[in-house]
Amino acid sequence: MESIVELKNVTKVIKGRTIIDDISFQVNKGEVFGFLGPNGAGKTTTIRMIVGLMAITSGDIAIGGSSIKTQFEDAVRHVGAIVENPEMYKFLSGYQNLIHYARMSKGITKEKIAEVVELVGLSDRIHDKVKTYSLGMRQRLGLAQCLLHDPEVLILDEPTNGLDPAGIREIRDYVRLLAREKNMAVIVSSHLLSEMEMMCDRIGIIQNGQLIDVQQVKEFIQGNETFHELEVIPSETALSIVHANFPDAEANLSRNGISVSLSKEDIPNLVKILVQEEIKIFGIKETAKTLEDRFLEVTKEKEAEAHV
Amino acid sequence: MFNLIKNEWMKIFRRPGTYVMIALLIVITCIVGAFFKYQETGSNAGPDKNWQQTLQEENDALKKQMEQSRTKIEQDFFKEEIAINDYRIKHNLPEKEKFNVWSFVKQASELITLAGLFTIIISAGIVASEFNWGTIKLLLIRPINRSKILISKYLTVLLFALTMLAILFVFSTALGALLFGMPEHAAPYLNYHNGTVTEQNIVVHLLIYYGLSSIDMIMLATMAFMISSVFRNSSLAIGLSIFLLFTGAQFTALLSLKFAWAKYILFANTNLMQYFEGTPMVEGMTMNFSISILVIYFIIFQFLAFFVFKKRDVAA
Repeated sequence: MESIVELKNVTKVIKGRTIIDDISFQVNKGEVFGFLGPNGAGKTTTIRMIVGLMAITSGDIAIGGSSIKTQFEDAVRHVGAIVENPEMYKFLSGYQNLIHYARMSKGITKEKIAEVVELVGLSDRIHDKVKTYSLGMRQRLGLAQCLLHDPEVLILDEPTNGLDPAGIREIRDYVRLLAREKNMAVIVSSHLLSEMEMMCDRIGIIQNGQLIDVQQVKEFIQGNETFHELEVIPSETALSIVHANFPDAEANLSRNGISVSLSKEDIPNLVKILVQEEIKIFGIKETAKTLEDRFLEVTKEKEAEAHV
Repeated sequence: MFNLIKNEWMKIFRRPGTYVMIALLIVITCIVGAFFKYQETGSNAGPDKNWQQTLQEENDALKKQMEQSRTKIEQDFFKEEIAINDYRIKHNLPEKEKFNVWSFVKQASELITLAGLFTIIISAGIVASEFNWGTIKLLLIRPINRSKILISKYLTVLLFALTMLAILFVFSTALGALLFGMPEHAAPYLNYHNGTVTEQNIVVHLLIYYGLSSIDMIMLATMAFMISSVFRNSSLAIGLSIFLLFTGAQFTALLSLKFAWAKYILFANTNLMQYFEGTPMVEGMTMNFSISILVIYFIIFQFLAFFVFKKRDVAA
């Protein structure tokens, strides 16, 4: 994996207040990196620093090997971005907006513009004024705008904000496609966990300006233990059997039966015992923790640590 | 850079407001034209046959006044009048020629203030609007550094000012020619400088007059540009600049009666015409002094605009 964006000890201080505190991470080509955190944690500030809209107080950010501080033009050449809402010139048509941005990068042909328009599915309305566009269409125009110069890094700040489920899905599929087929690195920020779970390969959790964790989404969700949900009757008896046979495992009554923290290998054994004891089993399923559970867990842990 | 200016130009001319401005400029020129036409037909006094004698009498009166006057400024003024009158008598150039296209263009040049007003509006909005629209974010994440973007915006303002002036000049010439006719031979403009009178082609004179009159507007547009970039607020930039456009000269004139330092105020120096005709606002001011003051103000405005724009953290 080749890294394309690299943050090194990035700190941002605004009026004596540390907004971003010593953040370092890398984003590789072809991966979707999720930037997750509650509102006000510093996601947007970090993204603004990556694209050079805000100055970095200390530390540095390199994109494609060029520092955004000292070689701004070289660094930002690799980047296409939507920062918060894609604000466009409302009095211009979608096409004029794209022409406007195309003129600001080198070597963008009319064919390329047409191709991008086609890609985001705006061909029918591209010559209408942007003020007549719906939010979804503006979002798509925003996407077109940042794909014009074939960037290697795509940065989307809250890309699904204000979109309906169909729009969200569209963006999500699109982001995955770009990462996979064009080997783009995509940085997505959001406070919507379910979104990130479906879109990202890796996520970094930011809280109070500090990066508290960076993990693969899969590992992150599963953590180290899995739970199995058993739909059984009578559940009290089943529970005591579990306690008797697997004293190390954690077991609780749940809505439809019991839930136990046993590894996959132990499940057939447990089923055998339960059947012998004439417990009726209706179903067994693995319940992975959702990103949301994990997220709250991680942020709480860190908060607790901070308070001790 | 050319592409950037093309972009700015597109953003100005794709907004209906710009066309309203141009239309207003044209309509008001028409109104001024109609007014002068009406006046011309109202007072149909032909050229004075005995104008040479009249001028001679005027000169005698002026000479008497000059002897009585004590201040140097007044004496200079009388001297100039007398010299020009003498020149007219000697070269057979009647003072009151028929109102023609060039007289109208000169009258209509008062409307440069209006062109200035529109330029200020554009200038005040060109940076601040990007912030208001939120488009500044997408503008600044292109592989073009911020200085270049700001330069392109400033050049666009200058280009817009030039366009407005060109529209005014061309349109008032066309309208003047239509309403008042071209003169058979254009009477030259008489220039008085250091005691000698020289003739100047009237069109050249008008172009110079335009150039000098637009200094005011360029300086204020630059100031509006600076305020727009520093405070990201177009209303403040428009309000302050237009207020100063209309009152700056008067205020400075009032101050100059009392204080000598008034000559360092921008508006004491924007009217370079004062060195060609009339007298400087504060005694002892020279053309070079005014130009240096203008340059200093210009540099201060530009420095502030660029410094703040480059350093700014773009939030919101």
